[in-house]
Amino acid sequence: MAVLKCDATIPERDKHILIKGEGQDGKCSIACNSATTPGDMTERGCTYAGCRGVVGGPVQDAIQLTHGPIGCAFFSWGYRPHIADSDFHMKYTFVSDMDESNVVFGGEKKLLQSIIEANEAFPEAKGVFIYNTCTTALIGDDGKDVAKIATEKIGKPVVFFPCEGFRGVSQSAGHHVGNETIFKNLVGTAEPEEDSAYSINILGDYNIKGDLRTFEPLFEAIGLNIVARFTGNVKVDELKVMHRAKLNVIHCARSATYVADMMETKYGTPSINVTLWGIENMSKALRDTAAFFGLEHEAEKVIKREVAKVMPKIEYYRKRLAGKKVFIYQGGPRAWHWPELLAELGMETIGAATTFGHADDYQKIYEKVNDGAFIIDNPNVPELEEILLTLKPDLFISGNKEKYVAYKLGVPFVNGHTYETGPYAGFSGMVNFARDMDKALSAPVWKLVKDMAQPVPGGLEEEVA
Amino acid sequence: MSTVVKQERAVSINPLRACAPIGAMLATFGIHGALTINHGSQGCATYPRHQMARHFREPVEVATSSLTESTTIYGGRENLLAAIKNVYERFNPTMITVCSTCLSETIGDDIPAFIDEFKGLNPEIDIPILAVKSPSYVGTHITGFDNFLKELALALPRKTRPNKRVNIIPGWVNPGDIREIKEILSEMQIDGLVLTDYSDTLDGGLYSPRPHFPKGGISLDEIKDSANALGTIALQKHVGGEAARVYKRRYGVPAHVLPMPIGMANTDRFIKTLSEITGKPVSAELQSARARMLDAIVDTHMITTGAKVAIYGDPDLVEGLVRLVVEMGMEPKYVATATDSKTWPTDLMALSEEFNLDMEIMPKTDLYAIHKKMKAHPVDLLIGHSKGKYIADEEKVPLIRAGFPVEDRYGYHRRSVVGYKGGVYLVDKITNALLAKKGALVSNTLLEFK
Ligand code: SF4
Repeated sequence: MAVLKCDATIPERDKHILIKGEGQDGKCSIACNSATTPGDMTERGCTYAGCRGVVGGPVQDAIQLTHGPIGCAFFSWGYRPHIADSDFHMKYTFVSDMDESNVVFGGEKKLLQSIIEANEAFPEAKGVFIYNTCTTALIGDDGKDVAKIATEKIGKPVVFFPCEGFRGVSQSAGHHVGNETIFKNLVGTAEPEEDSAYSINILGDYNIKGDLRTFEPLFEAIGLNIVARFTGNVKVDELKVMHRAKLNVIHCARSATYVADMMETKYGTPSINVTLWGIENMSKALRDTAAFFGLEHEAEKVIKREVAKVMPKIEYYRKRLAGKKVFIYQGGPRAWHWPELLAELGMETIGAATTFGHADDYQKIYEKVNDGAFIIDNPNVPELEEILLTLKPDLFISGNKEKYVAYKLGVPFVNGHTYETGPYAGFSGMVNFARDMDKALSAPVWKLVKDMAQPVPGGLEEEVA
Repeated sequence: MSTVVKQERAVSINPLRACAPIGAMLATFGIHGALTINHGSQGCATYPRHQMARHFREPVEVATSSLTESTTIYGGRENLLAAIKNVYERFNPTMITVCSTCLSETIGDDIPAFIDEFKGLNPEIDIPILAVKSPSYVGTHITGFDNFLKELALALPRKTRPNKRVNIIPGWVNPGDIREIKEILSEMQIDGLVLTDYSDTLDGGLYSPRPHFPKGGISLDEIKDSANALGTIALQKHVGGEAARVYKRRYGVPAHVLPMPIGMANTDRFIKTLSEITGKPVSAELQSARARMLDAIVDTHMITTGAKVAIYGDPDLVEGLVRLVVEMGMEPKYVATATDSKTWPTDLMALSEEFNLDMEIMPKTDLYAIHKKMKAHPVDLLIGHSKGKYIADEEKVPLIRAGFPVEDRYGYHRRSVVGYKGGVYLVDKITNALLAKKGALVSNTLLEFK
């Protein structure tokens, strides 16, 4: 018997679904990080999306150049609100715009030409990031070689990301490529003028709707220096010197552990994993980071002061939100970070899913949810619908595509990918988070929907001809 | 005198266009119970879905054959066969569209042959499965749509007894435009078939319980019967023009390929053609709507006359908009499209001669090219899709959002830019934007003595 009715015809999906409970020895034995079943309405993106959209894209003073046909560049342009102090990377996207003859005869010349022209148009850019796509990988263009030639020609780093979409099973592979490429090509290529004994890098936060703004000042207030953000609101020059930080503070373990590991091996930089969402988590992140530098006292002061500021508001929302049941479906980390902050608000996570989680990620989810919680890997549209209809969560947290599925089913929704009105990180972000949950849940429209939604004209029978 | 400006750059900066598969997907939403399988890597399905969801604010469901490394080496045959089977068994669709992508085209997958093989292996599955060529390195998002319509016209219609219908192919428009077209038909009491009609499926209401497939879309029977129509009117040359010609060649249905009915003259042409094909008179209500549009242009012409404008987007949309703004006395300065079309520059040159315009006609170009022009010679107004917001912002000119995608505002998919009502909407919108720009002062251009 399939766990979900809609999977009756594709029983292999069963391995990707798990209900936490008896008979399990504390291990989450879910199938994940494997190829999507053909024909699925998967929510997954591709390696290119993970690399260009998530890791490379936020670098604010690099020319973001896609080597391929135009679609990939068009679709990846400006859809992720990884904002920065300057918005060059958001305003401009570049593509070598391969046409049929380029596909037949190769696109290396066009790529080189594109780099040179892009650099001429924007001489202020500090480097060029080239992203490979399905087509250019298949025809065998040597982007790495072109990047080398171009670097000499324009005298700035030209970095090639081999992130063609068909590589790997999800966008997760793209994070890996992004980490490795930036590490190999940029990290350690310059030395900072000043070296501080109290310096950190923030890894795996992409500054969605300004997340960094909520927690950077807290780290600074305890006396720490931030060398680089990997890669929200970051400049090429900061990436170059990030090896000089004394500690790597990893927020999204899924997408950024790779670079931390490489830095540990090459430079001996230690790292710690933190969660920067939620009051408890954020406090712990500051404590743990401060402890590394012997700044515990300063950290406590900051925590006490800042928490006191937001607590009355959190309490207000907590009263309104307590007892609500939530289903979370996120790319990676939020699915295991957020059950904790939902719990802080008195809410319960009755199920969680990720688009591209690996075994260690699912283990984290498993440990954070209660018995009976529903865990699902790479769910598709019919599965999500069935979950929403049968588990009946009070609230669904996911991204833009799933938002309208939820709305059609009358389920309150919060956009956890790009945030409704974030930022959501840090102490002040937690207030925004709680406020958005409350808005979604208490909007009068849901009463209208309940009382007033019309049946489908003509009934359901004639639906499938 | 206008000039055609070729883009010499290799690099495209801020592209104006999406890629081909999204067109085939969009068209498939206009057929009730039909589903699309995107034969390529997952991103090729997810990106367009995401883009459409942001524009239409609706669930947008598309399956993927999910190609990965090994399949790109051994070919995507097995994945596609499995995908069709999975989609069929799970959803019981009325029809399946399989669109190709850069990836499946580059590895040389023969999709029609795979479909034949599938049908041989599964004789009990007798729904139409349509193969649409949509590699994005050939053409643009509108090419995918156009190819879909052509394939559909070739595959499904059956010549039997003549009906009294008119086939209307609106092209790449919004649900609001399709509704407006249907209203015109109903006001003239004409039985029309919109190929394809996604006005409800991509601008649907909230129903309880939610239907398995969204309400709306045309049926396969209607498509079959389309071979027996009185005539076909394609309202975009680049999306549907070819299909209209297929109807003519194959089924002897007269074809009329018209400019998109934006503005007075173009709408008049559409209405006149409808009336000629069917013998039905122009209804009193339509005449009033026409009079209202004329009234709107008269009311506003002292504000709009002389205002300079740049327009970008899909070729037929731009051509229609040029005519409308000229009717309003405005001066189109830069008109741009991403599509590589032989006819588009010529058609715009003809427009230019007709009205003695001075435009730079920019085919196969990008937004950066327009931006550079505007920096040298500013315009008062920009008309095009959301991706121009950065330019508008930087140059401090209002942007009238039109076309696809409009992702940073709500409700535009519900609006119509076609027909007299669409005309009134645009006239008001444009005029008010000009008024808002500088309070009562319309524009610098207007203050200069020429
Ligand atoms: S690889 Fe896919 S998304 Fe990219 S341009 Fe080609 S078809 Fe479009």
